[in-house]
Amino acid sequence: MPEKSVAGQPLVRLDARSKAAGQYRYGMDWSLPGMLHGVILRSAHPHAKILNIDVSEAKRLSGVAVALTGSDLPEILMPGMVSDQPPLARDRVRYAGEPLALVAADSLATAQEAAGLIEVAYEPLPIVDDAEQAMLPGATLVHEGWQEYEAAEGLVREGNVCCHSTLTRGDIEGGFAEADEIFEGTYSTESVHQSHLEPRVAIGAVDSDGRIAVYTNTQLPYWIRTNVAHVLGVDEAEVRIVPTGIGGGFGSKLYPQLEPLAALLARETGRPVRMVTPIEEEMIGGLPRHPCRLHLKTGVKKDGTLVAREARMILDTGAYAGSGPELASVGVLVLSGPYKTPHLKLDAFAVMTNKTNFGAYRGPSGPQAVFALESHMDEVAEGLGMDPLEFRLKNVVEEGDEAGNGQVLSGVGMKEALEKASAAIGWGEPSPPNRGKGLACGWWTTTGGSSGCLAKLDVGGKVVLTVGTQEIGTGAIMAGVPQVVAEEMGLRLEDLRVEVADTATGPWDFGSQGSRTLFNVGRAAQFAAQDLIVQIKELAGEEMEVAVEDIELREGAAVVKGVPDRRISLADLAQQSLNERGGLHSRGVSNPEPAKYDNSRMISCFYPAFHYPSFFCHAAEVEVDPGTGIVRVVRYAAAHDVGFAVNPKLAQGQIHGGVVQGVGMALMEGIIYEDGQVVNNNWTDYKLPTIADVPEVEAIIVEHPVEGGPFGAKGLGEPPVIPPPAALANAIYRAVRVRLRSLPMTPERVFLALRDAN
Amino acid sequence: MIARHPLRLKVNGHSYELEVEPHRTLLDVLRHDLALTGTKSNCQAGECGACTVLVDGRAVNSCLYLAVRAEGAEIQTVEGLAEDEALQPIQEAFVQNAAIQCGYCTPGFLVSVAAVLRENSRPSLAELKKAVEGNICRCTGYTGIVQALAQVADAAEGGR
Repeated sequence: MPEKSVAGQPLVRLDARSKAAGQYRYGMDWSLPGMLHGVILRSAHPHAKILNIDVSEAKRLSGVAVALTGSDLPEILMPGMVSDQPPLARDRVRYAGEPLALVAADSLATAQEAAGLIEVAYEPLPIVDDAEQAMLPGATLVHEGWQEYEAAEGLVREGNVCCHSTLTRGDIEGGFAEADEIFEGTYSTESVHQSHLEPRVAIGAVDSDGRIAVYTNTQLPYWIRTNVAHVLGVDEAEVRIVPTGIGGGFGSKLYPQLEPLAALLARETGRPVRMVTPIEEEMIGGLPRHPCRLHLKTGVKKDGTLVAREARMILDTGAYAGSGPELASVGVLVLSGPYKTPHLKLDAFAVMTNKTNFGAYRGPSGPQAVFALESHMDEVAEGLGMDPLEFRLKNVVEEGDEAGNGQVLSGVGMKEALEKASAAIGWGEPSPPNRGKGLACGWWTTTGGSSGCLAKLDVGGKVVLTVGTQEIGTGAIMAGVPQVVAEEMGLRLEDLRVEVADTATGPWDFGSQGSRTLFNVGRAAQFAAQDLIVQIKELAGEEMEVAVEDIELREGAAVVKGVPDRRISLADLAQQSLNERGGLHSRGVSNPEPAKYDNSRMISCFYPAFHYPSFFCHAAEVEVDPGTGIVRVVRYAAAHDVGFAVNPKLAQGQIHGGVVQGVGMALMEGIIYEDGQVVNNNWTDYKLPTIADVPEVEAIIVEHPVEGGPFGAKGLGEPPVIPPPAALANAIYRAVRVRLRSLPMTPERVFLALRDAN
Repeated sequence: MIARHPLRLKVNGHSYELEVEPHRTLLDVLRHDLALTGTKSNCQAGECGACTVLVDGRAVNSCLYLAVRAEGAEIQTVEGLAEDEALQPIQEAFVQNAAIQCGYCTPGFLVSVAAVLRENSRPSLAELKKAVEGNICRCTGYTGIVQALAQVADAAEGGR
C-alpha cells in the first residue's frame, strides 16, 4: 500500500473549531417554539408498595399542562434481556429515585412546584442492598414475579439473580491438582458515575404529520427509537429520533431514560416538552458502573506457569436487569485474561438489589474484573517469589493462541504493550522509600453490529458522509471516519463533511459505543467511498474520454494517470453530475463477521466473544505518604494495541482521558449508599479528578493490525479506563507493602490499612 | 407573579435592555434571553465550571451569579473571544493540541484562561493551570489541555 497522507496523521478534528468558538450545538442547546418543561417525581423510598399517588393538587396549579402516573400508561415493560422495567413505577418502587410521575408545565419552576404537590402514599418494604445476601435462599425478592418476565432464551436466572454466566475450559479440579501452589483473593469495587459534562436531555415533539419526534443527546438512536415506539404503542417507523450533539456519554447515554417520557408528554399535550436530568437526580437514577465483588483462585506451577483459575464475580445490577446479563458474560471473558490458562471455571452473577439500575460505563465490567485479576496476579507472583513483569511475560497470549472461550487470537500486541509500558516507567530500577511500581494488563473487544454510511459528492467538490450515530467526543465520527474516506479518495480531511441523520432518513447503526464506532462506521464509510470513487471515475472517463482504469483520484480531482495536466476537478464533476445523474451517491455497510468461539464452554453468555480484540498494559509508579495515606502518581505509562491509529493524536487523547477516569475510580470516586439512599449525589461530595489531581500520562501506541478494520484499526475507546485501579493497587503495594483489595483507595483507606499493618 | 427588574447588560460589546425576574441566574439569561448558548449549563452549583463567563474581567460561575447583579457590567462569553471570526490564540491552542473532545467543558476553560490573560499577558503554565482548577473535563484527562496551556505560556514567554 502506498504511503498514507491523511489516515495515520494527527490532524485537527472537523468539529474542533466550532467547539472552541462556542458554536457547536449540543442537546442542551436545542429548544422548540411553544416548548413546555417536563419533570419527574422520583421515589423517596428504595423499596415500597405504592398505595396511592394523588396528582390533583399538581394539576390545579396554574401553568401545568399535564400530570401523569404509571396508572395513566398501558401496563407494559421495557424491552431488554429481561423485560422487567415499567416506564413509570406502577404499584411498587424498587429504588430511591425511580420515576413515579411526570409533570409538564409552561415553566420549569412551575413543573417543579407541581411535582412537589403530588402526594404519594408508600408502604415501605425490606431493603435488599447487598448483592451477596440477595443471592441467599429466602432473601427478599426485588421482583416477586420474576418468573413471569419475558427473558432472552438460554438466560440462566433464579430469584434475584437475573443472569448467571459461566465459562468453563478444561478440567478445573484436575487443573488445581496439577498445580504446585494455589492462591486465593477477594476484591470489591464501588459504583462510579460517567459524569459526562452535559446532562441527559430530551425534547419530545409532535411532527406535522402527527408522528412523534424526540431530540436527544443519545449514543444509540435506534435503540431509543425501539423503546419510544414501545412506550407509545406505535410502529418504530412512526417515531423519529434526532440525535443532537453530545457533551460526553461514556455509556451513560445508551439506554432510554428521558426519551420515552418526553415522547409521552409531547403526545399528551400536543406541544414540545423538554426534560433534563439534573445532577442530583442523575447520581441517584442514572446508569453508573456496577459495584462488584470478586473471588479468585489460581493454581500455578513453581516456575510461574498458570494452570487453573476459578473466579466468582458478583455484579450488583440494581433494581432492574438492564445491561447486567450481558455484562456478566463480559466479566467472565475479562477474567479469562490475556493469559494462557488451560483450566478455567469462571462464574459471573448479575444480581438485583434496591439500587439504581447500574449500567454500561465505558469498558463495563472491565475495571472491576481487571482490578481483581491483576491485583491477584501480583499476589500470585509475590507468593512464587517472581517479578510481576516476568510472571506476566511468561503467561501472556501471543499470535494464534486460543482465548478461554476458544476464539483464536490474531493481531495480538499484548507482549509488546507489556514490554513498552513497563520500560517507560523504568521497571526494574529501584524506587526510593514509599515509592513503588505496578502493572496491569488486559484485553477488550471491538463490538460488532452493523453500521451504514451514505456518501455523496456535493456541489463544490466536497464529499458528504451521512451516518446514523453521533460524535460523542472521541473523534471517531468527526475525524477518524472522514480521515479514512479522505485517504481513500485522495482528499484532504477538510474536503469532507459529516452529517448525522435522524432515524427516519439515515442509515441504521448499532451506535457510538463498545469501542466500535471508528471500526464499524469507518469501515462502512470506506466501502461507500470505494463505490463513490467508481462513479466519479465513470463520469470523469466520459468527460475526458479516457478509460476508467486510467483515472486516479488525487488533489480533489480525477486525473489521467501519467498525464497530470489532464484532469477534471471534483467540483466540476459534482456540477456535471447534477443534471445528468441526479448527483453521485453511494452507500456502504459494515457488518463484520463475529468472532468464532467454542459454544460448549459458555452457558448463559450473551456477549460470548471479544471481536477483533485489543490488548493493553498500564504501568504506574506511585508515592504514598504514610502520614496521610495520600497516593501521588509519579509516573504513568499506558500502552494500547490499536491495530492502526487513524489519528494518533486523538488515539492518545482516548488513552489520556481513560486513564484519568480510571485514576478517579481508583483513588477518589465512589457512589455511597446508606440504607438504600445515595448520600453523595452532587459534585461537591462526589469527587472528580481536576487538573490539579492528575499525573502526566505517557500514551504509547502499539500497532498489530487486524484484517477488517479500516487500515487495520481496532477499538480503543473503552480500554484505557480499565487497568488503572489495578496498576495503582499493585504500585501501592510495592511502595508500602499494603494490599488494598477494595476501591476506592482513598487517603483514609490507605492510611487505615497502613496503621492496621503496623 | 414575581416583579421583573429592568436590566442593562453589555455582552461581548453589545448592549441589551432586558426585564428579568430577580431570582434568575446570569447563565439562564445569557442562554435563553440572549440565545448565547456557547456558555454551557450543567451542575448549577459552581462545581463544574462549564458556565464560566467574565464579569468586568473576572471569571465567575454564571450559574451562581444573579443576572440583576450584573447590571451595567461588561460580560464576556466564549462567543466574544474570537475577533472578526478568527479564533484567539488560546482557542487555537486548544484546537491544535487536541484539548477538545466532547467540547462541553471547553468554553468554560477558555474563559477561565482569558481571565488570566486580561490581568497578566505573560502568565506561567502554573498560573494558567491554577486558573482552571475549577473547570472539570471528563474526556481529555487534562493532558491536551495542559499542552494547550503550555503553548499559551510559551507564546507569552516568547513575547518578552
